[in-house]
Amino acid sequence: MALSAAARKRWVTAALLAPAGLWLFFFLALPFLAILVFSLGERAPAGGYQPALTLANYLNLPARGAAFLNTALLAPVGAALCLAIAYPAAWFLALRVDPRHRLLLVALMIVPFWTSMLVRTYAWMYLLGARGIPQLLEMIGIENIRLINTPGAVLLGIVYGYLPLMVMPIYVSLEKLDRRLLEASSDLGARPMSTFLTVTLPLSMPGVMTGVALVSILLLGEYLIPQMLGGGKVYFIGNALVDLFLQSRNWPFGSAIAVTLVLGVVGVLLITMRIAWKVSGTRQMDLV
Amino acid sequence: MAPEAISDLEFRHLTKRYGEVEAVSGIDLSVPKGAFLAILGPSGCGKTTCLRMIGGFEQPTEGEVRIAGQVVNGIPAYQRPVNMVFQHYALFPHMNVAENVGYGLRQMRPRLPSTEIDRRVGEALEMVRLGSFAKRRTHEMSGGQQQRVALARAIVNRPKILLLDEPLAALDKKLRGDMQLELLQLQRELGITFVLVTHDQEEALSMADLVCVMSAGRISQLGTPQEVYDHPTDLFVADFVGKTNRIPVTVDGGVLRLADGRALPGASALHGSAIAALRPEAIRIARAGDGLPGTVTHRIFLGSFAEYAVAVPGIGDILVTTDRRGATEADLIAPGEAVCLTYDPAAVLVFPQ
Amino acid sequence: MTKDFKDTPITPDRFMTEFMRWKRGSITRRHFMGVTGLGLATAVLSRFPGAGVNPAFAEDLGTQMAIATWPNYHDPATFENFTAATGVAVEVNVFGSNEEMLAKLQAGGAGWSLFVPTNYTISTYAGLKLIDALDLSKIPNFSPSTQNPRFTSEGMVDGTTYALPKNWGTTGFAVNTAELKAPLTSWKDFFAVAMNEADGRAMVHDYQLTTIGSALVSLGLDFNSTKPEDLAQAEKLLLEVKPHLFAINSDYQPSMRSTDAWMTMCWTNDGAQLNRDMPEIAYILGTDGGEIWTDYYAIPSSAPNKAAGYALLNFLMDPAVAVKEHIANGAPATDSRVIALLPPEITSNKIVYPDEASLTPLEFGAAATLTDPGRAELMARFKSA
Repeated sequence: MALSAAARKRWVTAALLAPAGLWLFFFLALPFLAILVFSLGERAPAGGYQPALTLANYLNLPARGAAFLNTALLAPVGAALCLAIAYPAAWFLALRVDPRHRLLLVALMIVPFWTSMLVRTYAWMYLLGARGIPQLLEMIGIENIRLINTPGAVLLGIVYGYLPLMVMPIYVSLEKLDRRLLEASSDLGARPMSTFLTVTLPLSMPGVMTGVALVSILLLGEYLIPQMLGGGKVYFIGNALVDLFLQSRNWPFGSAIAVTLVLGVVGVLLITMRIAWKVSGTRQMDLV
Repeated sequence: MAPEAISDLEFRHLTKRYGEVEAVSGIDLSVPKGAFLAILGPSGCGKTTCLRMIGGFEQPTEGEVRIAGQVVNGIPAYQRPVNMVFQHYALFPHMNVAENVGYGLRQMRPRLPSTEIDRRVGEALEMVRLGSFAKRRTHEMSGGQQQRVALARAIVNRPKILLLDEPLAALDKKLRGDMQLELLQLQRELGITFVLVTHDQEEALSMADLVCVMSAGRISQLGTPQEVYDHPTDLFVADFVGKTNRIPVTVDGGVLRLADGRALPGASALHGSAIAALRPEAIRIARAGDGLPGTVTHRIFLGSFAEYAVAVPGIGDILVTTDRRGATEADLIAPGEAVCLTYDPAAVLVFPQ
Repeated sequence: MTKDFKDTPITPDRFMTEFMRWKRGSITRRHFMGVTGLGLATAVLSRFPGAGVNPAFAEDLGTQMAIATWPNYHDPATFENFTAATGVAVEVNVFGSNEEMLAKLQAGGAGWSLFVPTNYTISTYAGLKLIDALDLSKIPNFSPSTQNPRFTSEGMVDGTTYALPKNWGTTGFAVNTAELKAPLTSWKDFFAVAMNEADGRAMVHDYQLTTIGSALVSLGLDFNSTKPEDLAQAEKLLLEVKPHLFAINSDYQPSMRSTDAWMTMCWTNDGAQLNRDMPEIAYILGTDGGEIWTDYYAIPSSAPNKAAGYALLNFLMDPAVAVKEHIANGAPATDSRVIALLPPEITSNKIVYPDEASLTPLEFGAAATLTDPGRAELMARFKSA
């Protein structure tokens, strides 16, 4: 049987998309569906899930209101801090560094990312602990500095941990920025700062927004850094989820929170994409 | 063209080195105000580097660039009274046409009133015949239209010198011809100095009133298009500007001799091995007569003129171009026919090998 | 670890030691994995080549089995020796909390033939039919007469033995006496000092059972209480103390060692380790109460290789084997045959083997305490306050 060219094309397209489609179906759509079903259920007496059809878990969301609020603050503040540090670094890497050294510097930026986040955060626990930096400060006469288990330590850990995720998309969009546009801007009388604000920054917005989206979305689920560098005294949604799934084993309530979190993530993506498209005038996202 | 006392653009022993590589080697050049200068040369000859040093994107290693008498070495691009039309235009993709054109005006300090900016953007767009395209996104436009946006964006700032980096290279031939005329007209209207960089000798000859032929970082020849074409100072210029037949000769007591000992009409004060250069259009071709005998191997019909490749024993292929004015069908010579080539001996230029 | 560590910043060697401890998943008794949510780390102990099957085992034991246990809870040589003796390779899965183990067994397909649950989970497992009643005839090395009944009773449900004790322990608190001079003897003292002399220096567990339990005890209430009025009082105390805490974290050893923290809720084996390396750190059992616990061996109903599970359990009940286990993990033994074999410096350690009198006020955690939703929500409010 001879297929028409159009039909064959459709089959080829389907075959090419099948692996990703199946993957998404089995490992994203189905689990999400399961979580959705769980979120409408009840906690079994010994913990876990038992079937029910109730919105009680959603109505109970205010019981984790503080966690939601803390997370809603952490994600943008953390992302903004990362951005403030990542942008100059990415700009320097993409536009100022001798191309011969660029690869090395980019690699140095990324290599720590290959080590477990846990190990790196653990290293910070020692560095910030009394026998770490505070002891060095004591040697030069600065006493009684508490670094570990402070909000500053949490922010430091977050910036340190997520910086590569912010640097890379910005670097990519700056790296492919047409240098002649910068020359054109300068040629037309724009001072360097003006060129940056009117050309470089808007054209790197897809990268910026990708970085902001990546970092804030991951921060929405962050629990390790607050636990390890914040002494577990600050409670984020991630911590609430770990506790609900692994400790009190209230899966339905945990699922309701997870569903709400996913909706939040979608919201963040929509907002950042809109901003990127509007500013850069293109419909592209620089996903690394 | 009326050269004035003050030149708009001047190079003094201008040199640019990138590490070991010398891109521009001690160039001296003076361009009168209001001139249309074309810097012509093959790629890698240093012409673009020169342009970029005028624009302020590169700084000279040695020597000076002067604009309107002022040394501009070290002055950044954004403070120079010049504007550039970039190769491939470099339009800002996130701005529409009017925003692109008004960009330079918005950079001016003190700030221009927005009504003033709008008025001048409108004028510039009218000048390049894009009056109705102000709100368009640049990527929705054709190459020719983008070219005009780039032009408008540059001239709206009323620069002292307009720099054009291979501005027509990306356009098709027909459009290129139209744009050449428009550029000439624009230059007359604005009365400012244009500096055009190109590797296309036709473009340079047809538009510029001053042609600077560059080779290997140096100026080979500076002159009017006619001077450069008719009196090339060396074989490189003769070869690069227009087509030239290169005939190896030996000069002996002023007489040109071919390899087989025959004398070639023409004269030279040189001595020894040399190259005789002869423009194809300086040669007359006839079915019979006195002169170099040969056989037509190819004929290329080009409408208003025809080009013949003639195999001349002892020399090789000689290119001949004939004007068709007044010629009839019967005057066209077919490949295979025996012909005789004649020329005015004064048209032969002899260069050392 | 030597005392000089305390006086210097962390050395590379020291860091690597700590790092390796982390890699073994062993920084605290069990909770580090839990708080970090790392799930399980798996170590497969290689089979000894050429090890023959011991003819003493009549049944076919197969070639491999898995055990679920706590980090740093066994002498690795134990499993190597078992493999050498039986030809069965042992895969060791370590967990962060009883709740995780329960979740894994409930979900099915855990694949363990033996595991190590804590006392307060046994009745839940038995009730959910997730563990088998033990056939003691297959465990001849188990000797009921030499076991302390205090610890065997928690392994029984309605007279049926479901689990055999591995070791026991207590939950008290560790105090750096070089930093805190005030004498501390009770949980009441602990919370009072945490808000005063030890402001910003005290740690409580990230574990509702012990944190809420100890707060209840300090108020003169029952460690296992789930009464709303009792819990309300505990919540008031915990919220009051929270701003003064250094951390809510069950991974307290690093902070105590670095002297960032001066005082922490603490389990027996951590207390012994801290005191061994830094003698100024004392381990105190509350005179007003606190927790006593026992970890057990049990065989899941779903065990894929029950024969090997029984064989390993019997092997572990051998006093000669058990004694090495106790020397390795430092927790006190329940079997007098084992205690007799332990070196005197271990049995004389009052942290590990406290006087009977100091154990009297302690209580076992109850199954209901572990799964009580009211306590879970209290903990969430405490942590998010």
